[in-house]
Amino acid sequence: MNKLIALCAAALLAGCGATTTIDEYRPNNQVLDINSEQSVVILGRRDAGHYDTDREFIDCVAKKMQGADIGVFPEQQFVDAIYPWFEPRTAPKGLKRLRRLMEDTAIKQQIEHNGIRYLVWLDGSTETHDKGGSISCAIAPGGGGCFGFAQWEKSSIYEAIVWDMTNLTEKGRLRVDSSGTSYLLGVVAPIPLLTPVKNDACASLGTQLKQFFTLDQPL
Amino acid sequence: MPTTKITIFSVLLTVLFISGCSSSSQVQIDSQFPSVVSKPKPVKAAIVFSEEFKSYIANPNSKTSIDMGSAQTKLLSNAFAGLFKRIEFVSAATEVSFDNALVITPSVQEVQVSTPSDTYLNVYEVWIKYSLDIKTADGDQVDSWFMPAYGKTPDSFMLSKTNAIEEAAVIALRDAGAKLLLDFYRIPSVYNWVVTEQIPLDEKEVQ
Repeated sequence: MNKLIALCAAALLAGCGATTTIDEYRPNNQVLDINSEQSVVILGRRDAGHYDTDREFIDCVAKKMQGADIGVFPEQQFVDAIYPWFEPRTAPKGLKRLRRLMEDTAIKQQIEHNGIRYLVWLDGSTETHDKGGSISCAIAPGGGGCFGFAQWEKSSIYEAIVWDMTNLTEKGRLRVDSSGTSYLLGVVAPIPLLTPVKNDACASLGTQLKQFFTLDQPL
Repeated sequence: MPTTKITIFSVLLTVLFISGCSSSSQVQIDSQFPSVVSKPKPVKAAIVFSEEFKSYIANPNSKTSIDMGSAQTKLLSNAFAGLFKRIEFVSAATEVSFDNALVITPSVQEVQVSTPSDTYLNVYEVWIKYSLDIKTADGDQVDSWFMPAYGKTPDSFMLSKTNAIEEAAVIALRDAGAKLLLDFYRIPSVYNWVVTEQIPLDEKEVQ
């Protein structure tokens, strides 16, 4: 009996794994040089009308990068240091605009002063869709409970673009696509079986970005 | 227990619940704003911040008030200082001491707020519509420039209404500073005035 319960639990938990795909593009297989006095800044795109690249995801990726001893400059500190040139209205969307920005000596000095070597743009969001099932909870003087079953699917799609702030060139792109289904079982007590889609996307992207900066892997 | 007492108790409880749903928000913006990274042009300007502007409290609807006078004065002072090499801040146009200068009087035309309950979107939004009255020191009208600014919260999860409106308003104020620095010298009448006054603007502009 115990074995059956354990098998059922394992099957349920295995069903909660996210499927994650990473695509990487690099123009060449050069290692991205960075020394201890330089840092990377990870910025979220915030110019789309219907979504913002959430700060929680950016912080998560930044933590993964910091774990590899890469200096990560905090996003808000960078945006404030260079105000107002990286606000949603003014942030450069392409290299052409970045090069024009860097022609301004005041802006260039500020970037150099803060030791910013690479800029990583993150753009994307996590969305919930395909909700199904129903669950209802009730409470009465004799007790209460939940009955039913609900499920929903989440997908996280994020793209990272790495810009070199010294050469003002693009050094590569990464795209992470993660999806998975979460369940909520109502068997007297509600039992959530959640798939950590966003965490998986963050861990995969962070790990891949670390390799981008620290390892020279042949393509 | 008499039925009347139960009824009164139920009614009171219901009233309490309903009144709890219709909250009013009084927002005070205390945020600090960063200094602008900008090389000012060799233009003289006097900025008129009236008392009304400095203590402005927006009432976008009957349940919301945003005390933004101090914050907008700080932010715009900082942004104007990034535009003009010589600048003075005065409370009335009569106090301007510069000649051959621009006299700019900002005012708020309207502030709008939208909440998730209004739009069914998962964000709080704030629009601020500024108007800049631009004259020469001699009193000749140069332009009256409409300057909209917009801010929204990333989402509304775990945010109280007051905090969310404050966050959106701060983003809108920062957007106002960005818009001013980005577009001021692109206003045709301002550009023409600068050219007429033979002020050199030949340094490479960012935009």
